[in-house]
Amino acid sequence: MSSGNNESFNPFDPSQMFKDMRNAGMDAWAKTMVELVNTDAYAEASGSMLDAWLGGSGPFRDAVESATTNTLNNLNMPNRDDITRLAERMTNIEMRLDDLDAKLDELLLVVRSSSGEHHRDREEEPS
Amino acid sequence: MNKTTNALPSQFNEIGNEWHNAVQRAQRFNRLLTTDADIAQTPKELVWALNKAKLYHYVPVVPEAERKPVPLLMVFAIMNRPHVLDLRPGHSFVEYMLKRGYDLYLLDWGAPGPEDQGMKFDDYALEYLPRVIRKLKAVSGSSEFSMLGWCLGALISTLYASLRPDDGLKNLILLTAPLDFTDKTAGAFTRWTSNASFNPDLIVEKLGNVPGEMIDAGAKLLKPVENYVGSYVMLWDNIDNPGTTEAWHAMNTWVRDIIPMAGSAYKQLINEFYKENRLIEGSLVIRGEHVKLSNLTANLLNVIAESDHITPPCQSERIMDLVGSSDKEVFRVRGGHIGIMAGRGAEKSTWPHIESWLAARSA
Repeated sequence: MSSGNNESFNPFDPSQMFKDMRNAGMDAWAKTMVELVNTDAYAEASGSMLDAWLGGSGPFRDAVESATTNTLNNLNMPNRDDITRLAERMTNIEMRLDDLDAKLDELLLVVRSSSGEHHRDREEEPS
Repeated sequence: MNKTTNALPSQFNEIGNEWHNAVQRAQRFNRLLTTDADIAQTPKELVWALNKAKLYHYVPVVPEAERKPVPLLMVFAIMNRPHVLDLRPGHSFVEYMLKRGYDLYLLDWGAPGPEDQGMKFDDYALEYLPRVIRKLKAVSGSSEFSMLGWCLGALISTLYASLRPDDGLKNLILLTAPLDFTDKTAGAFTRWTSNASFNPDLIVEKLGNVPGEMIDAGAKLLKPVENYVGSYVMLWDNIDNPGTTEAWHAMNTWVRDIIPMAGSAYKQLINEFYKENRLIEGSLVIRGEHVKLSNLTANLLNVIAESDHITPPCQSERIMDLVGSSDKEVFRVRGGHIGIMAGRGAEKSTWPHIESWLAARSA
């Protein structure tokens, strides 16, 4: 962060002096913050805060999800679980197609190499 | 008197110009913060796709006779886009390698949806990656290949290389690979996740996939002042320097493009790797297969960033004593987790070393 341009220090340039002071301040601040987040106390506090947030917001999230699912069910529309299951099935189908595609690649390779051999054999036959 | 009346309009003019410049700078600053730069511009074609994962083949730029016979597959992390490998024209690792005759492939894992919540490292290493490699071999016509894994991509590459050593992997390049979590005080990530109060199971139970915003905030909080203040101050200081602002804009575009991480993979990463250190301890089991690093026999280049705050060097070092490779090298670079490959110095330090190491082993 620091510009490190002390060589070009000019006492008559107040903006550069201000920048140098700002950079020195930010460097010190950055170092302090890195040291702070590297402590066990910070790790403990952030873990507990995350737990509290997840626990506190959980009922609200569940309520929204349940209301959305009920609404979609009443409207005869697929809900999140239905779409998720469908997507999982799609991935399974894609995997089978991928296996078929690989087998086709192998077959093509065999056909090409054998037709190449056949072509060479015919060229080598005496006329 | 006359002099003063003449000077006044010019002073007003100067103030007006200064004001106009300041407004223009502010507008430029705002544009750089809120718009996306054109990144990942090198031409490529999609050769394979499965679920969200995509395999791209970069269009070669040198004649066939000058190309290296062993193709190179690049595997990036699962919680970021891989565009950082091809950041911007004129400063792109992809472009650099293409010009030197490499047949390049890029695996983009894509952004997991709710249906991918159950995806684990088992799936990435033994379901997706073998399929990618199968396709790569079919497209390239080569039975051998090289692989470059970065961050969690390096972890997945290591798992694959240890579990499938006879699959044609000739050269393995690991960049900032988080593999060894013996030291629970090395780096803030390890400290946070090793703490008893950190509960990844609850995060995944409540949120499903881990939101990109949460992962992004976690990464930025490792250096909060640099990421939340310093980066913008640096931009403002250099707002009249197009070279610096373009580089910043491209990097910011990549940083802003956040994606979630599959819930089960996150749980596995924290519990089995960060907390229990199973890979190095030799107790990791992937899809019923015991992962033995001694089975990794490919030529190995291990690139370590000396100032890496995400993957501290000690997390990448010990693998060198455990792998079975006879040709192995550690390359230490001055710089951070991303900077060693995307920073200004990458083109002069990291890229040439990777290229020369690979060139000697790609014949």
